[in-house]
Amino acid sequence: MPRHLNEILAITKRIMIELLRMRRSLIFWLVFPTLMLLLFGLIYAGGKSPGKSFDFTAPGILIGAALFFSCLGGPVALIVAERERHTLRRLLLSPLRPSSYFLGIVLAHFVIALGQTVIVYGIAFFFGGRFHGSVALGLLVICLSVFSFVGMGFFFGARFTKRTEDVNGPVAAFGVPLLVLGGTFFPVSILPSYLLTAAHLNPIFHMNQALRAVSAEGLGLVEIQTHGLSLVAFTILSLVLGIRSYKRMLLKEKEG
Amino acid sequence: MTVIEVNNIRKSYGATHVLRGMSFSVGKGEVYGLLGPNGSGKTTTINILCNLLEVDSGEVAVDGRPMSESAKYQIGVVPQEISLYRDLTCRENLLFFASIYGLQGQRRVTRISELIAHFDLARYADTRVSQLSGGWQRRVNIAVALVHSPGALILDEPTAGLDIDARYDLWKLVTILKDTGVSILLTTHDLEEAERLCTRIGLLQSGQIFREGTLDELRRIVPAKQLATVVTRDEGAICDRAGSFGWEYRSYGERLTLLLPQEMSLRTVIEKFGDLPITSMTLSQVGLEHAYIEATRRSTS
Repeated sequence: MPRHLNEILAITKRIMIELLRMRRSLIFWLVFPTLMLLLFGLIYAGGKSPGKSFDFTAPGILIGAALFFSCLGGPVALIVAERERHTLRRLLLSPLRPSSYFLGIVLAHFVIALGQTVIVYGIAFFFGGRFHGSVALGLLVICLSVFSFVGMGFFFGARFTKRTEDVNGPVAAFGVPLLVLGGTFFPVSILPSYLLTAAHLNPIFHMNQALRAVSAEGLGLVEIQTHGLSLVAFTILSLVLGIRSYKRMLLKEKEG
Repeated sequence: MTVIEVNNIRKSYGATHVLRGMSFSVGKGEVYGLLGPNGSGKTTTINILCNLLEVDSGEVAVDGRPMSESAKYQIGVVPQEISLYRDLTCRENLLFFASIYGLQGQRRVTRISELIAHFDLARYADTRVSQLSGGWQRRVNIAVALVHSPGALILDEPTAGLDIDARYDLWKLVTILKDTGVSILLTTHDLEEAERLCTRIGLLQSGQIFREGTLDELRRIVPAKQLATVVTRDEGAICDRAGSFGWEYRSYGERLTLLLPQEMSLRTVIEKFGDLPITSMTLSQVGLEHAYIEATRRSTS
C-alpha cells in the first residue's frame, strides 16, 4: 500500500476507534439530529401526513444538526486533544506528512457523515419522506459540506482554541447563528430581505439550499449551480484558512 | 562508531542566544547524558536532533549523514510527557505509530510482539492506556518510540514526576536498552539519574557544553580523594585548621565540605578536629553533584 494512503488510513482508523469508545459524543451526535428531525418534521407536518414535511426537514437537519456538530466540532476537539495530550508533538517527531493527517481526519468525518446521512434519511423515510433527486449529486453536496466544515474546524481548532474548555465557545458563538441564518431549522423565506442578503455569505445557507433542492425538489446540477458554486468557493476558502492556521500552529509547536 | 554527531551548533531567537556552539557525539550502545539546568538549551538541542528546528550554524549528523527528514527513521524520541492516545490500548497505540512509520503486514505484527515481550507488556497489551498506572504508561511511551527500531533513542527527562518505584523501573529499562546496543541521549537535571545511567556526561550551561567526560573523569575535577561534610557552629575555625593541613574546602549545597587529599577513616579526620565544635561529620566519595558544582564554579570564574 502506498505510504501516503497507509498514513491516511491509520489516522482514520484511530479516530474511528476513539469515537466508538467515546460513547457520550457518539450518542450526542446521533440523538441530537434524530430529535431535531422528529420535532421539526412533525411541527411542519402540522398534524397532516408528514412525508412532505420530512422531505423538507431532513436536508437541513443533516447539514445543520448532524454534520455541523460532527464535522466542525469534531476536528476542533480533535486538534485541541492532540495538543493537550502531547500526541501532536509525537506526530511531529514522526515522518507523518501534515497532508496525510488532514486527509485522515477528512476521511474519518466522511465515514461519520455517511453514518449520520443513513440515520437522518432512514428516519425521514420511515415517516414517508423521500430523496427525490440524484443521490450522486446529493453525495457531492454532502462531500463539499464535510470538506468545508473540516476546514473550518481546523481554522477554529488551530487558531482560537487552546484547551478543551475553549471548544464549545467558538462553535456556539459563530456556529449557532450561522445555523439559524442558514435556514437549518426554518425556511429562509421567513427572513427579512436584508437578512436574506446576509445569508448568502453564509456557507451553511448554500449547503442547506443545495441539498434541499436536490433532495426535496429533485433539481439537478444546472438548477443548483449558484449554490453549488458558492459552496465550492466557501469550501476552498475554508480549506485554505484551515490549512494555513494548522501550518502556523505546527510551526509554533515545533519551536516548543 | 558515532551515531549522533553534533558539531558547534548555534541557535538564536532574536537577540536570545539559546545554543552557543554546542558539540558532542553519542557512540553506539552509549548512554550520553546532557546535564544542565532549565533553560540551558536541552530542549532546543532535542528539537534540532528531531529535525523540528534548523540550526543557525554548525552541523548535525545521524549515522554519518547530515540531518534531514530521514533522520526521523533513525531516531526515536521519548517526550517528557506521556504522549499516547489514552482511549486506545497499548497494542493499538503501537499499531498506530508503526503504521505512521510505514511498517505493514507481518513486519508490523512481529515488531509489536517483540516490543510487547521486551517491555513486559503482555498483561496490559489490550488495556486502554488511560487505565494504566503512570509507570506502565511510561513503558508504553518508550515502546512507541522504538516501534521503528531506531539506532538512537532520545529520552527527554524521562523520570520527571515519577514516583520512586517507577523511577527505578525506568532506569532498569534504560540499562537493558543500552545492553541491546541502542545509543541513548538522555537529558536530565537529575544528578543521580545521570550518575547511574550515563557512560558519558556533558555538563551544559547557557547553551554550551562546558565540561564532558565519563563519570570518573568528571569526578576528577574535584581535587580530592574523599570528602568530609561538616556541620559546625564555627566554620571559620574548621577552615583555618583544614588550611593548616593544606586541605582545600568548599561549600557544596550550603554545607562545609573538606576535600581530603587521600582516603582516610572518619576517626582519623575527627581526631584532627576533635577540639573544635563539630556537630556532625560525614565521609563520602566524590559524586557527580560535587563535580558539577566544581565545574560550574570554574567555568563561571
